[in-house]
Amino acid sequence: MEKRPDLSVEFLGKTFINPFLLSSSPVSNSAKMLERAFEAGWSGVAYKTLVTGRIPIVHPSPRMHPYHYGETRLMGLQNVEQTTDRGLKPNLRDIAYLKKHWPDRVVMASIMGFANQEWADLARACEDAGADMLELNFSCPHMTVEGSGCKVGQEHELVEKFTATVRKVVSIPLVAKMTPNLADMSIPALAAKRGGADAISAINTVKGISEIGLDDWVPRPNVFGKGAISGYSGPAVKPIGLRFIAELASDPKLKLPLSGIGGIETWVDALEYLLAGAATVQVTTGVIHYGYRIVEDMIEGLSDYMAQKGVSRVADLIGKALPNLHDTGKFDVAKQGVAQYDLDRCVGCGQCYIVCRDAGGEALEWDAAKRRPRQIEDKCLSCMICGFVCPVAGLITFKKKPASWKRRPTVTLG
Amino acid sequence: MSDTKQLFKPEDRGFDFGTAVAEAGRCLLCHDAPCSQGCPAGTDPGTFIRKLRLRNVTGAIRTVKENNILGGACGVLCPVARLCEKECAACGIDRPIRIGKLQRFLVEQSWRTDFRVFAGRPRPAGEKRVAVIGAGPAGLSCAAELAKLGIPVTVFEARPEAGGVLRYGVPEFRLPKAFLEGEIADVRSLGVEFRFGKRIPSRAAAEALLGKGFSAVFLGIGLWKASRLEGKPRDVAGLLSSVDFLAALRDGRKVAVGRAVKGRTVAVIGGGSVAIDCARCALRLGAQDVYLLYRRSYAQMPAEEDERQEALLEGVHFLLLNQPVGYLTDPRGGLRGVSLRRTRLGVKDASGRRRPEELTGSDWALEAQVAVEAIGNEPEDGLGLIRADARDCRTAKAGVFAGGDIVRGPDLVVRAVLDGKTAARSIARFLTRGRSPQKAAR
Ligand SMILES: Cc1cc2nc3c(=O)[nH]c(=O)nc-3n(C[C@H](O)[C@H](O)[C@H](O)COP(=O)(O)OP(=O)(O)OC[C@H]3O[C@@H](n4cnc5c(N)ncnc54)[C@H](O)[C@@H]3O)c2cc1C
Ligand SMILES: Cc1cc2nc3c(=O)[nH]c(=O)nc-3n(C[C@H](O)[C@H](O)[C@H](O)COP(=O)(O)O)c2cc1C
Ligand code: SF4
Repeated sequence: MEKRPDLSVEFLGKTFINPFLLSSSPVSNSAKMLERAFEAGWSGVAYKTLVTGRIPIVHPSPRMHPYHYGETRLMGLQNVEQTTDRGLKPNLRDIAYLKKHWPDRVVMASIMGFANQEWADLARACEDAGADMLELNFSCPHMTVEGSGCKVGQEHELVEKFTATVRKVVSIPLVAKMTPNLADMSIPALAAKRGGADAISAINTVKGISEIGLDDWVPRPNVFGKGAISGYSGPAVKPIGLRFIAELASDPKLKLPLSGIGGIETWVDALEYLLAGAATVQVTTGVIHYGYRIVEDMIEGLSDYMAQKGVSRVADLIGKALPNLHDTGKFDVAKQGVAQYDLDRCVGCGQCYIVCRDAGGEALEWDAAKRRPRQIEDKCLSCMICGFVCPVAGLITFKKKPASWKRRPTVTLG
Repeated sequence: MSDTKQLFKPEDRGFDFGTAVAEAGRCLLCHDAPCSQGCPAGTDPGTFIRKLRLRNVTGAIRTVKENNILGGACGVLCPVARLCEKECAACGIDRPIRIGKLQRFLVEQSWRTDFRVFAGRPRPAGEKRVAVIGAGPAGLSCAAELAKLGIPVTVFEARPEAGGVLRYGVPEFRLPKAFLEGEIADVRSLGVEFRFGKRIPSRAAAEALLGKGFSAVFLGIGLWKASRLEGKPRDVAGLLSSVDFLAALRDGRKVAVGRAVKGRTVAVIGGGSVAIDCARCALRLGAQDVYLLYRRSYAQMPAEEDERQEALLEGVHFLLLNQPVGYLTDPRGGLRGVSLRRTRLGVKDASGRRRPEELTGSDWALEAQVAVEAIGNEPEDGLGLIRADARDCRTAKAGVFAGGDIVRGPDLVVRAVLDGKTAARSIARFLTRGRSPQKAAR
């Protein structure tokens, strides 16, 4: 067999056989399930968030709702699930089992306390059970218990305090998991760093309402007549996750390794997170949609990409998009272009004409006899929306214009 | 001539990237995918469609080509409606995923993106060499699989180029040349050696290779003698066998055949896929009228439903329930017509189809200047099919293996591919007898 690129990555002193982890959720709920995940190829897991047995956890029923968009299933996923509903002891036994039987995989125990002492107790118990690292869940958007979840994540003093508490009692690395339900993630991330966190993972679910029943007027999921603003995940949130990872990675004060989460289903999504600055990535909704098997395609797809690009180590991809990321104010607006049409391949649907007329530069005329658009080039705004709706791939492309080229001003009536 | 050239242009252009991804999007991604079980050669559509769906395009290409060295040709030629697509769970909703077209797309995508699955594979370096007789689908598949297992192979092919029926039988409008060239290049890239124009004169001579530097022999020689209506065919100008007719169209004699057919009435005898191919080619060569003469009815024709439909729509006249009984010639020895006798369907025969019974006193003649007999193919040496075990392709003689049409009788490309793979693994086991059993490593 030809030589395949090495997908392994170093993260917090551990070698991960590839950058693909399961994130904390039902997909990482028990050792029995995780053994199958490891067999499939996942390099590690953020184990479903553990809590002390003090307050019994009972999940609402039903606890999830799919957001289908047209023919596309599970564009997003809404959930009202709580932390683990299994006892602490069985979970710790499962963690110990995984560490014993899968020594080359990494188990990160996710924990959430409802008070300072609980954070310390949980952290110690997990370290004793053999967890390689801890993920501090400051980010669940729908915990019913006060002083927990993303309510903590939004209060940076609490983030720092709980992190410091944990830091004092364990020696294994700490990852602080952030909520995206705020304007600036660097504030809690820096608070976590001050408290002693070694890395940041982001994002947890985005607060949202994906659908409301038209007959019962209950936001989904409908839990016996009640709905809630709750956690939204899946492909629809990828742009949000990428944004936060890129921001944290560019923050000169933070300088912590990152684990990217949110909407990852394919190697392409994962690669984008790496390019934005994540060293590992985590997945839940992708597995809820397709099962553990998707990791096979993430591994094969990423390694083929690396082979084709001549990249030998995953580390060489991390953050590679950051030098190309600028404030919009840095764009060179003296350079302009237009949409260019290859009309030989046009099928005559006229969608370009409609959108350009109603949302673009009114730069197209419609030749009804030939069923073809005719472009008035100096009215083209280069918004490119015509290309977004064109059914023929590559028919409409962006073309740079010379510096001397001038766009006609928009018509004023009255 | 450029007209006929146009007419022989491949008709089906295949999916582009967007269409393929959209089609893959319809896939239900079944557990224990039934389509994969429906593929005789183990091409595993369930996996390659999932890979395409999850944007692992290179991986999807790899799955196709690792499992089926002729994945592109199969994507084009397999009668999917009774193989993988028949098993598709989406049939229970409306229509199957177009698996054949997706498979074909992936192979074409590998050329477009220059993604070579076997690039960098080490050349076979084993000490024992295997002789493969025949570079048809069975031989190519066997040779490729052996090479992947690290076993050196030499392919002996009687004709000037590789492909077997794919090159000298199937018309170009159904199988674009690119599939032959591209997929044979893949076999070569695995380090397989070819000897063209090298006919092994007999089965005994093939077996004798065992003593001459070869440790095992695979026979994939196919069926190249046309069955004839009259045991010993008469030398009538205008009377051809399907083998001659189709081969002439692909080995450089198209112009001459075209001249003989253009403007004439052509009678094609037979109701199978080969007969349909002959009839459609005759139309493309400019025949005035093309009759397909078949002794049973439409429903009993062995040709695939889609081919029959296409031939009908293109203008082939189906002359059913007529048994050809002889030829009429003019004084110069040229064909003048075909004598026919009407039939009716009686009780079922061994094949489960109703038997045609000739109606006495119903004889009549169809005028035709060209007749093509497409009533079946047989082994060229007249010795009958080779007997080989379906599970391991072993023949009665130790070290000699066989597969494809020479064992099965007229069958499919995909089953020839299966036999090639089965034989290669079985040969690998044979070569390592006494040593630790070899794993079929991928
Ligand atoms: C016209 C036609 C159309 C068909 N269409 C389809 C289709 O659409 N789909 C489908 O699945 N199947 C189709 N088939 C069937 C399919 O082509 C065969 O099942 C398949 O080619 C069998 O492969 P093979 O390798 O056993 O034999 P072949 O393809 O016959 O190859 C045998 C090779 O061995 C060589 N050879 C023979 N004798 C010797 C010798 N003594 N020494 C050296 N070399 C020798 C021959 O030259 C040839 O290259 C079609 C068949 C025909 C005839
Ligand atoms: C049903 C469900 C339960 C979850 N439970 C937890 C949890 O217990 N702890 C946690 O840190 N995150 C939890 N998450 C958030 C995920 O780990 C992940 O951060 C989020 O879903 C975004 O990634 P995705 O788009 O790949 O799903 C849960 C998500 C879902 C959908
Ligand atoms: S997926 Fe399984 S556990 Fe979930 S609702 Fe369906 S049957 Fe129940």
